[in-house]
Amino acid sequence: MAAAGTLADRRSDQGDRSEQVTPRRARRPVALLTLSCLVAAVLALPLVFLLIEASGAGFGDVLHLIFRPLTWSLLWNTVRLTVAVTVLCAVIGTAGAWCVERTDLPGRRAWAVLLVVPLAIPDFVVSFGWHSLWTWAHGFRGAVIVMTLAVYPLVYLPVAASLRMADPGQEEVARSLGSGRVKTFVRITLGQAKGAILGGCLLVALVLLAEYGAFEILGYQTFTTEIFSEFNSYSFAAACALSLVLVLLSLLVLAGEGMLRGRGRVSRSGPMAQRVNPPQQLGWARWPVLAAFAALVLLALGLPVASTLYWMADGLPPALSGGANVSLLDAAGHTAIYGGSAAALATVMAFPVALLAIRHSGRARQILERSTYLVLGMPGVVVAFALSYFTERYLAGLGYGTSVLLIACYAIMFFPLALVGVKASLVRAPVSLDEVARSLGQPRLRVLFRVTVRLAGPGLVAAFCLVFLSAVTELTATLLLIPTGTQTLATQFWAYQSNLSYSQAAPFALVMIIVAAVPSYVLGRFFNRPVQARG
Amino acid sequence: MRQVAVTGLHKAFGAHPVLAGVDLEVPAGSLTAILGPSGSGKTTLLRLMAGFERLDAGTIAIGDVLVDSPGAYVPPERRRIGYVPQEGNLFPHLTVAGNVGFGLAARERRGGKIDAMLEKVGLGGFGRRYPHQLSGGQQQRVALARALAIEPAVVLLDEPFASLDASLRAGLRADVQEIFRRAGTTAVLVTHDQDEALSTADRVAVLRDGMIAQCAPPEDLYRRPADAGLASFVGDANLLEGVLADSVVKTMLGSLPLDPAATALGTAGRVTVLVRPEQIDLGPNEAGLTARVTSYRYHGHDAVLCVQPGNDPEARLIVVRIAGGPHRPVGSEVTLVARGPVFAWPAD
Repeated sequence: MAAAGTLADRRSDQGDRSEQVTPRRARRPVALLTLSCLVAAVLALPLVFLLIEASGAGFGDVLHLIFRPLTWSLLWNTVRLTVAVTVLCAVIGTAGAWCVERTDLPGRRAWAVLLVVPLAIPDFVVSFGWHSLWTWAHGFRGAVIVMTLAVYPLVYLPVAASLRMADPGQEEVARSLGSGRVKTFVRITLGQAKGAILGGCLLVALVLLAEYGAFEILGYQTFTTEIFSEFNSYSFAAACALSLVLVLLSLLVLAGEGMLRGRGRVSRSGPMAQRVNPPQQLGWARWPVLAAFAALVLLALGLPVASTLYWMADGLPPALSGGANVSLLDAAGHTAIYGGSAAALATVMAFPVALLAIRHSGRARQILERSTYLVLGMPGVVVAFALSYFTERYLAGLGYGTSVLLIACYAIMFFPLALVGVKASLVRAPVSLDEVARSLGQPRLRVLFRVTVRLAGPGLVAAFCLVFLSAVTELTATLLLIPTGTQTLATQFWAYQSNLSYSQAAPFALVMIIVAAVPSYVLGRFFNRPVQARG
Repeated sequence: MRQVAVTGLHKAFGAHPVLAGVDLEVPAGSLTAILGPSGSGKTTLLRLMAGFERLDAGTIAIGDVLVDSPGAYVPPERRRIGYVPQEGNLFPHLTVAGNVGFGLAARERRGGKIDAMLEKVGLGGFGRRYPHQLSGGQQQRVALARALAIEPAVVLLDEPFASLDASLRAGLRADVQEIFRRAGTTAVLVTHDQDEALSTADRVAVLRDGMIAQCAPPEDLYRRPADAGLASFVGDANLLEGVLADSVVKTMLGSLPLDPAATALGTAGRVTVLVRPEQIDLGPNEAGLTARVTSYRYHGHDAVLCVQPGNDPEARLIVVRIAGGPHRPVGSEVTLVARGPVFAWPAD
C-alpha cells in the first residue's frame, strides 16, 4: 500500500454523517474475485518455484545452506543498507515534499519536476556515474549514497501528493489550539502524511532488497547479488535457500509497514473543495534550503548525466561509428517494445485487484491485495528462473527464449507498481458515480467503460509509465530471458560496462535516461494534479 | 394509484439493525418526503429503493414490478429511477450536456431532448460547460435534469439541498416543486430538515426507530401528530396537561375546543394537549394566564418567547410565537391567550 493506499483511505472516509454507511455492493463481486485470485496465482509462481526447488534439494540441505557464515554476512550487509537508505530517503523525501508543497520556497514548480526526474535514471547508471569517476564510491558508503540518490523520489512522490490533498484546515485548527509550528508539523502534518511516508519507505526497502546492478558495480555484496551469481554458476539449491531468506526479509518489511500504519485513518471532513492555504514563510531559512535542494539535484541528476556525457565525449569517435549507432537504435527499439508490452499487461492485470481493494472491504481481500507486493522483494533472477522452469516443465518449453516470456516476467515483477498506480487512479472514480450511472439505466459492464475507466484514465497512464520505467531499467531478468541475438539498452550497457568500455557504454545509458525521462515526467504530472472528481 | 410500495422492510448492517419493518406507499404524482434525524436509516431506505443495497426481508415494488424481495431482485439500471445524490455527483469528465444525455440512447441525445431538459431546470445554454465550472446550485440542477431525462418511474432525492446555502436552497426547492408538479413526477425526498419536508412535500413520512412513525400531509403531521414525541420532532410544541369533557379541554391556558379529528380519546378523561407556539397570543386584558418572560428571540418576521407561567418556578416553560411587535424585555410580565382547536392524546 503505497501512495494509492493513502489516497484511497482519504476518499473513502466520508466524514461526519453517521447516515452514510460504507458503500457496499448488492452482490458479491464474483467475477472480480475470480480474476484477482487468478492474478494472485500467477504472481505466486516464483514462490512456488522456490519451494519446489528447496524441497527437491531436501530441507536438511537447505537449512544447512542457510545457516552458514556467508548468510550472516549477507544478512548484515543487506539489513544495514536497507535501514540506512530507507531512513535517509524518508527524511529527504518528506522534507523535500513539505518544502515544495507547503512553503514559499522560490521556484517550487521547477523543483517539483527536478526532484522527480532522478527516478528516470537507472540505479546502475547512477552507480556507474559515481564509481567510474571516483573509486572511493565503493562498498557500503558508495551503496548508501548511490541508492539514496536513486530512489528517494519513491518517497517524495506519494508524500507530496498526500500533503497536497490533506486538509489544511487541520493545521490551522492545531495552531489555534495553541500548538506551535514545530509541534503542528510533527503532530498534524506528519500524521497526515504518515501513510504516504510508510508506503514510500515500503517501496524503497523492497527495491533495495531486489537491487542487483548497482551493487555489482559498487562491489557491495547483498543477498540479491549472491543469488544472481549462485544461479549463474548453476548452484540452484544455494540460490533457492538464499532466496527464501530474502523472501522472509520482504515479508518482515511488509508486516512492519502494516504494523506501523496501524488502524488510524486520515479523514477529511466536509466537501473536497480545493482550498489553497497560504504557504509557510521560510524567511532567512530559504537560502540553506535552496542550497540543499540544488545540491540534491546536482548529485542525483547532474552527476550521473554529466558522468555519462563525460565518457561519451571521451570516446567520441568509436561511439559514433556506424555499427554502434545501428545497435543503439535496435536496442532502443527492443527496450521500448518489451517495456511497453509489459506495462500494458501489468496495468490490465492490476485493474481487477485494485477495483476489489478499493471498492470492497474484507480481510481476505486485503490479504489477497497485499500479498501481491511480495514479488517486489523478489529478485528478478528468481522470477526469471521460475518462469523458465514452469514453461519447460508444463508447456514443453513453449515460449522459452522468446520475448513473450521476458514480457510476462516484467509484468509479474512490476505488478505491485502497476497496482499502486491503478489504485491511485480508481480513487478518482468514486463508487457513487457508478451508482448514478446505473440508476440511469446503464448495465454494469458499460458503466465500467463509460465512467470508471474514463475517470481512471490518467491514472492508468501513470501506472503504465511506472511499469514501463522499471522495465526499461531492469537488468537481471533481462540478461537471463532475452531472446538470443537481441539486445536491450540495459543489456548492451551492461556488456560494455562489464568490459570497462565506459565510453561505449555511455550512449546506451544516455538513451536509457531519455527513454525513461518521458514516463517519469508523466508520473510527476499525474501526482501533481489535484483530485477532480467530487463526492 | 400508488407508484412505490414498501412493505415489511428489514435491513441490518452486520448486527446493527437499521430498518425494522418499514411500510410506505408513495402515491403516483406525489412528492413524498422521508424525514428523520441523522442515523435514522432514511438514506438506507432510499438506497434500497434505488437497488444499491439488498433488503433482508420485506418487499419493494415500483409501479407493478416487484423490484426487491428475498426471492427477486431487479438491478438499479432496470428500475427506471432518477437518482439525485447529495452532492450531485456529476460525471467530471463529461460536459453538462454529456451528463444530461448519459442515460439516453444516441438517437434521443441528438434530438434536442438535452436542451429541453436544461431549459426546464433553468440552465438553457449551459450544455458545453464542465461540472467544475458550475456553482453548487447549478450542479444540483444538472443532476436533476440528468435524472429526469430518462423519464423515470420515480425520482429519488437524497438530501439534494443540504450542501447549498440557505438563500439558494429556498429558490431551488421551489423550482424543483414546480418542475415536478408540472410533469406529474413521482418523487421521494430524503431530508433531516423538518422545515424542508413540510414546505416541499405533499406527504411526509417520519422515520423513527427503523419504522415509519407517521405518514401524512404536512398540515396533518404538524397539527395532528400521532404522538407527543412526533409533535416535538416536527416543530416546537407545548405539551400541557388537560381534562377533557364534551369536546372541550381544560388546561392552564383556559378551556380550548378539541380538534374533531382527535377521535381516539373517548369523550372524557385526563389528556395531554398539544398547543403550538403560534396558537398563543399575548393578550392585552387580564383574562388570560399571567407569565414572566425568560427569553426573547427576535427573527424579524416573528419573535419567539419563552415564558414561565404563573409565579411557579417549577412549572414547565411555555413557548410563544408572536408576529413581531414591541420588544418584550426578559423579566417583564405578559398575559397568555390560547386559540383552539387543539389536538390531544390520552395522558400516560
